Amino acid sequence: MAATKGSSSSPTCNLAALDSLNVNSIGEMTDSWNAFCAATEAQLRRDDNLSFASDIVPRVRTLCGYGLQSLIVEHFLCSVEKTFEKNGASRFWTYFDGYCKMVVQDMEDMDQQREMQDVLHTALEQITSEKQYQEKGLLVLIHALETCRESKPEEAAHSDAERNYLLSKYQLIVTSVLMASLPRHFPDVLQWYFKGRLEELSAMMATGSEYDNKLSVDDDGDQNCRRVEMDIDESQYQRIILGNNKLIKNIGEVVRDLRHLGFTSMAEDAYASAIFLLLKGKVHELAGDDFRFSVLDSIKRWIQDVPLQFLHALLAYLGDSVSYGSPSSSLKSPLASHPSYKYCGNEVPSEGLIRWQLRLEYFAYETLQDLRIAKLFEIIVDYPDSSPAIEDLKLCLEYTGQHSKLVDSFIAALKYRLLTAGASTNDILHQYVSTIKALRTIDPAGVFLEAVGEPIREYLKGRKDTIKCIVTMLTDGAGGNPTGPGSTGDSLLEELNRDEENQESSSFDDDVYTDDKQAWINAQSWEPDPVEADPLKGSRYRRKVDILGMIVGIIGSKDQLVNEYRVMLAEKLLNKSDYDIDSEIRTLELLKIHFGESSMQKCEIMLNDLIDSKRTNTNIKKATIKQQPKPVADIGEVELSLDNVDATIISSNFWPPIQDEALNIPGPVDQLLSDYAKKFNEIKTPRKLLWKRSLGTVKLELQFEDRTLPFMVTPLQAAIIGQFEDQTSWTSKNLAAAVGVPIDVLNRRIIFWINKGILAESVLDSGDHTFTLVEAMAEGGKAGVGSGSSEELLAGDEDGERSVASVEDQLRKEMTVYEKFITGMLTNFGSMALDRIHNTLKMFCIGDPSYDKSLQQLQSFLAGLVAEEKLELRDGMYFLKK
Amino acid sequence: MATGTNTHHQDSNPNTPAATVPPKQTVPTAKTVDTQSVLKRLQSELMALMMGGDSGISAFPEEDNIFCWKGTISGSKDTVFEGTDYKLSLSFPSEYPFKAPKVKFETSCFHPNVDVYGNICLDILQDKWSSAYDVRTILLSIQSLLGEPNISSPLNTQAAALWSNQEEYRKMVEKLYKPVV
Repeated sequence: MAATKGSSSSPTCNLAALDSLNVNSIGEMTDSWNAFCAATEAQLRRDDNLSFASDIVPRVRTLCGYGLQSLIVEHFLCSVEKTFEKNGASRFWTYFDGYCKMVVQDMEDMDQQREMQDVLHTALEQITSEKQYQEKGLLVLIHALETCRESKPEEAAHSDAERNYLLSKYQLIVTSVLMASLPRHFPDVLQWYFKGRLEELSAMMATGSEYDNKLSVDDDGDQNCRRVEMDIDESQYQRIILGNNKLIKNIGEVVRDLRHLGFTSMAEDAYASAIFLLLKGKVHELAGDDFRFSVLDSIKRWIQDVPLQFLHALLAYLGDSVSYGSPSSSLKSPLASHPSYKYCGNEVPSEGLIRWQLRLEYFAYETLQDLRIAKLFEIIVDYPDSSPAIEDLKLCLEYTGQHSKLVDSFIAALKYRLLTAGASTNDILHQYVSTIKALRTIDPAGVFLEAVGEPIREYLKGRKDTIKCIVTMLTDGAGGNPTGPGSTGDSLLEELNRDEENQESSSFDDDVYTDDKQAWINAQSWEPDPVEADPLKGSRYRRKVDILGMIVGIIGSKDQLVNEYRVMLAEKLLNKSDYDIDSEIRTLELLKIHFGESSMQKCEIMLNDLIDSKRTNTNIKKATIKQQPKPVADIGEVELSLDNVDATIISSNFWPPIQDEALNIPGPVDQLLSDYAKKFNEIKTPRKLLWKRSLGTVKLELQFEDRTLPFMVTPLQAAIIGQFEDQTSWTSKNLAAAVGVPIDVLNRRIIFWINKGILAESVLDSGDHTFTLVEAMAEGGKAGVGSGSSEELLAGDEDGERSVASVEDQLRKEMTVYEKFITGMLTNFGSMALDRIHNTLKMFCIGDPSYDKSLQQLQSFLAGLVAEEKLELRDGMYFLKK
Repeated sequence: MATGTNTHHQDSNPNTPAATVPPKQTVPTAKTVDTQSVLKRLQSELMALMMGGDSGISAFPEEDNIFCWKGTISGSKDTVFEGTDYKLSLSFPSEYPFKAPKVKFETSCFHPNVDVYGNICLDILQDKWSSAYDVRTILLSIQSLLGEPNISSPLNTQAAALWSNQEEYRKMVEKLYKPVV
């Protein structure tokens, strides 16, 4: 210890000195000691400022003479500590008592803020002056000690060391006293303070940058005007800079005072967290919920403008970069680094500042990334519009590398918001497509897409209408979802095709290198897969994100998709009343590109049927006009001719199974149809036409006493209303017999006319229903007209009976084939295990339809048969139920 | 439909080659060019049989060999065989359908034209075979043979003798019938 060394004597020497003390010297010592203590007391109480130095010098000298130097120092520091504790620290903390229950919201109040600023300033001022005062006393003491040491030149060398030691010891006392009594809310107070100051600064900077903008806008304005304005602006700008400087000086003072009190790290924590808080707020404010603009640049600019300027100025004011404990920065002498800390520096920024910048930018990226990831679901919902936000996110992720966060959070959002029973399959599919597109931007390799797409795919597999929706989305304009975001009027398929063309033109072929040079370029541009990539999946497959492939992947095989499309196409074609199939041809061509000619062959035949039908239809009509032999059958006043009939002639082998119900159509029409068939036979011998009477559409006009109403209806509906021409009232039983359909079908279909107000229903005592034609508008017409528009929709919905067997029906049919095979094998082998049935089916059921089900599908099918009591399951073996 | 006519040659000898050759040996590796067409033919016969829905007859290829089938025939109504099921084995030669398949009863069958080893004496399975026949017609023929045996040239003389007494015959059938488990 420097002090002990300085006091020249070892304990043994002191003991020797003790022996030599006489009464006089003891008295002298006691007097001096008492006087010293009194002077110290007085000095610390600030009773007597001036006399302290003169008072203590002789006392100290006397006491030193007796070797009691260390005692003096101890005593002095002890008293100083006590006084500081009493006067300095406790008073200092009292200033902040009012803020101990403060919460952040309270700080929003400007007055409160200002008040707090003032309090902090005053408190710091006071405690600093207290400290300075005590330091002054300490210096006097040191000086006294020095003077008495001058007599012993050999100790002079130690004086500097001792001086430093005492000062640092004092500093330590101050800090420890403050720290020991630190109220818990003080760091918060500091943080609020810095936050308030930074906001002020930020507001000033905003004005400043507005000025900049104005300057650039005014550039091409009138010269004179500009000069005047410039002058005004210049002075304003100066004011701003002055204001800035003043503000920063204020802050700098506070920071410096805090440092002197030993709160260096606390101060830094406080302004760092204030900066981060402000940055976070700024990011949230800039980014918000608007995904149409990129915000990354403006955030960076703001970081450059506000916090970095602030730090720059602050560091410059403090004149050092102590806070960064790195050896390189601490090695720099303060003098060397000082010049670079100038405000508005075009010079190379200091290392500390760069580190701050990196820290802030990383924080900004991370904040923005978190913000965007949390909203990724919404972003993807608005996908094409929100691509700037996606770009931002991409940059952020490149910087932070927290892709897994994205995947986890997005999957959670999907599960919570999309993959629920309430979401329509269409919406899910659209979101899926948008997800693919959006994530393709972020991650061209498609690694995260795989992870994110998985739950969607799995979920969609469980939905029954998935295939249907996919086909609709692929082939229909507006993607089958007219209100959806992707309603550009183009089908997804067209869009995909465009994409593909673009991709192909910009990227070179993977496999065929045209020459060695190209190969070399390719090799050089190779990039490893992202670290998150699943090594089990080869990277080759990930090269191009194939949207169509991913969609087909949901279904499992393209055959199912093609099959569904065939059914939908059939439905669409059969419901056409003209032969206009241009859009279907276009779609088919696109599908051919993706799925190959052969798989679309049946669909092509169907379209050709339509084209042929058109031609044949025209030919048949021409032939009729040429002959014009007999007037075609009359019914009442309306004349029906072959011109009224347009036929769609299909090669039924290539069409999906067509549902035909028996139907008695009115005689004249039937006659017309057989005429048509006869003509067809004449032209196309030996082919014959077989009518599917229940299919197609009938345009008819109902003439009443007071009105005529046009309708587009199904043949069955037309047949029903036709029966009322001669007889205005029918019982449902008779009507069903006349039309040739079961009563329940009739009851279902006649609702259409009841809803239109054309027929009225009444129940007889026998329980039979009677339908009566409503002739006059007055009776039921009003209701009919009134509800007409809504009923029309209803009728369309209710009209669920389709002309083509749906894929599900076909599946059921397939399953009956399997059932027969299973029965066959169980009859002959007695009992079989699931595996064996599966294998046997695979082996022998290879006709049309061939067996292509999974073991699980078979198991559930067998379970169905067991439930129907056709089979029995015992010990894992299936038996026929006898 | 082919009716059962009995041709009496060496069938009474139980050691006839047809009986001793295990069915599987006929499958052999006769992977001639025709194998594919035989496979196809058998495949379509299976499909026709499964979809045909004839009651009382059924057959299905063994697990991994489409040349070896197991068949089941139920005795027709109003015959002494009513209520009994008989298992058969059918093995197809690689020259099928130009050669008849070898068919025998696996379940013992008390019948004038079936011997104790299950060999069947039926003309369409021997000299009257035609490629127009198929599994279904064979099975139907055997089913009708059950009810209308050819007594004049029996393999099982006891059965032939008893045939005239249908009541006794029925009792015999019931006594000897061992249903397949």
